[in-house]
Amino acid sequence: MKNLYIFIAVLLIPWSFSLAKYDEFEDGDDIMEYDDNDFAEFEDVNEDTVTESPQRIITTEDDEEEATVELEGQDENHEDFDDADTQEGDTESEPYDDEEFEGYEEKPDASHSKNKDPITIVNVPAHLQNSWESYYMEILMVTGLLAYIMNYIIGKNKNNRLAHAWFNTHRELLESNFALVGDDGTNKEATSTGKLNQENEHIYNLWCSGRVCCEGMLIQLKFLKRQDLLNVLARMMRPASDQVQIKVTMNDEDMDTYVFAVGTRKALVRLQKEMQDLSEFCSDKPKSGAKYGLPDSLAILSEMGEVTEGMMDAKMIHFLTHYADKIESVQFSDQFSGPKLMQEEGQLTKLPETKKTLLFTFNVPGSGNTSPKDMESLLPLMSMVIYSIDKAKKFRLNREGKQKADKNRARVEENFLKLTHVQRQEAAQSRREEKKRAEKERIMNEEDPEKQRRLEEAALRREQKKLEKKQMKMKQIKVKAM
Amino acid sequence: LTEPPSPARYKPPASETNPALEDPTPDYMNLLGMVFSMCGLMLKLKWCAWIAVYCSFISFANSRSSEDTKQMMSSFMLSISAVVMSYLQNPQPMSPPW
Repeated sequence: MKNLYIFIAVLLIPWSFSLAKYDEFEDGDDIMEYDDNDFAEFEDVNEDTVTESPQRIITTEDDEEEATVELEGQDENHEDFDDADTQEGDTESEPYDDEEFEGYEEKPDASHSKNKDPITIVNVPAHLQNSWESYYMEILMVTGLLAYIMNYIIGKNKNNRLAHAWFNTHRELLESNFALVGDDGTNKEATSTGKLNQENEHIYNLWCSGRVCCEGMLIQLKFLKRQDLLNVLARMMRPASDQVQIKVTMNDEDMDTYVFAVGTRKALVRLQKEMQDLSEFCSDKPKSGAKYGLPDSLAILSEMGEVTEGMMDAKMIHFLTHYADKIESVQFSDQFSGPKLMQEEGQLTKLPETKKTLLFTFNVPGSGNTSPKDMESLLPLMSMVIYSIDKAKKFRLNREGKQKADKNRARVEENFLKLTHVQRQEAAQSRREEKKRAEKERIMNEEDPEKQRRLEEAALRREQKKLEKKQMKMKQIKVKAM
Repeated sequence: LTEPPSPARYKPPASETNPALEDPTPDYMNLLGMVFSMCGLMLKLKWCAWIAVYCSFISFANSRSSEDTKQMMSSFMLSISAVVMSYLQNPQPMSPPW
């Protein structure tokens, strides 16, 4: 459908050109014919006037030829005027002199004409030139557009092929682990569609569910924008790779409370700044994983040492070392709420909702020049994901660890409350003021003077009661302090 | 590892909770395209109209599938009409800036 529209549009552009040009052609031809007919009748009389104007358009090259042609072609001039040869013009003024002084007049004539008439070359304006060549800018533009369209089609198809290659490779593993593979949210019942959801020309989603421990798993294939020529050109400057993002939402009872991340140093630094949970719970800089045998490219961010110890078991280390080049980041968090939300001051009244999540970001090998075969190399990473799900369920913090974790969470909540305390106070105060104002207005609007008095008295009594209460509280605090 | 499938949980494939996180390119390009086509129409500048066509193509290529095709088509048609109008008013070919 979309492609159809494009073709129609592209056809319209050259059609409009041809429309515009035809107008020009028709008018031009008519004028030419008129010129010839007019002058043909008045050959002898108007020769002088006619010859003067064409002289201007003579180019200097023809000067030397002029003289010779003049002498020879003299007799023919009267006969064929249709030639409109400007060279013949010069001879008409001096017919007899040229015949007598063949050899002599050449040079003076030539030099004369050179001195007398400074030849001015006038550029014929482009729209009077009847050639397609003058429209080279337009042709360039249309070629550019066609190139863009070609790239769009090619890029879209490549992304499509890559997505399906990935899915075909991983289908078996997913179907053996999940009851529901593929869902687009439109069916009433939970039936597997067995297909990827195409969100974009470069993003494909897959929702898997129906496994113990986890609520569900969302896989996002984030390919490069191969369908956009601008992006393709930008990538020539800055290489990037396709990414596979996997987000596993865990059940509340299936994961203990900890925040842990491992990945490339660059990715972790960025995540620490961006992600709400990592910035709050993992305050240290990413540490090297060399202690556990991880390659230098990977670093670890953790809430506490015990979590790292627990996570870095033999199999996990095996996975991380063997596929280090494909791993961008791995994040296990019970306080996951996405990236930090940029909210305006005064709007932050509640902590964002958190969900127990495992996040994985993998880079597809090839850094842009991927082929469908490269998708097979991602299969072991999916096994790692499944293994991590089971591991997260099994791993429990010991008593100390739990205490620390709870303390951390309480601390974060307190900080948040403090921050918002001022705002909440202001909100409460403004509400109280509004109530008072509303009451006063009511009193003012009461026409009956008696009622007014009664309402005023009631308001006064209420205020007095409040004051008394406050005084009582102050007294109580003082007593306690003592 | 075949686990006995527990009751299959329901989708929804987490529809974008925060559209602000998404790529703003198609919206920007749409807007740019419209601005350029208006410039091309009002000021009779051919190069403006051509850039508008490019912008609407780029916006189309980057758009999400959930996005309205009507808006895409309207910006498209606007830019094409800008090009056509500029040429009908002034059939002279575009001159390069150099």
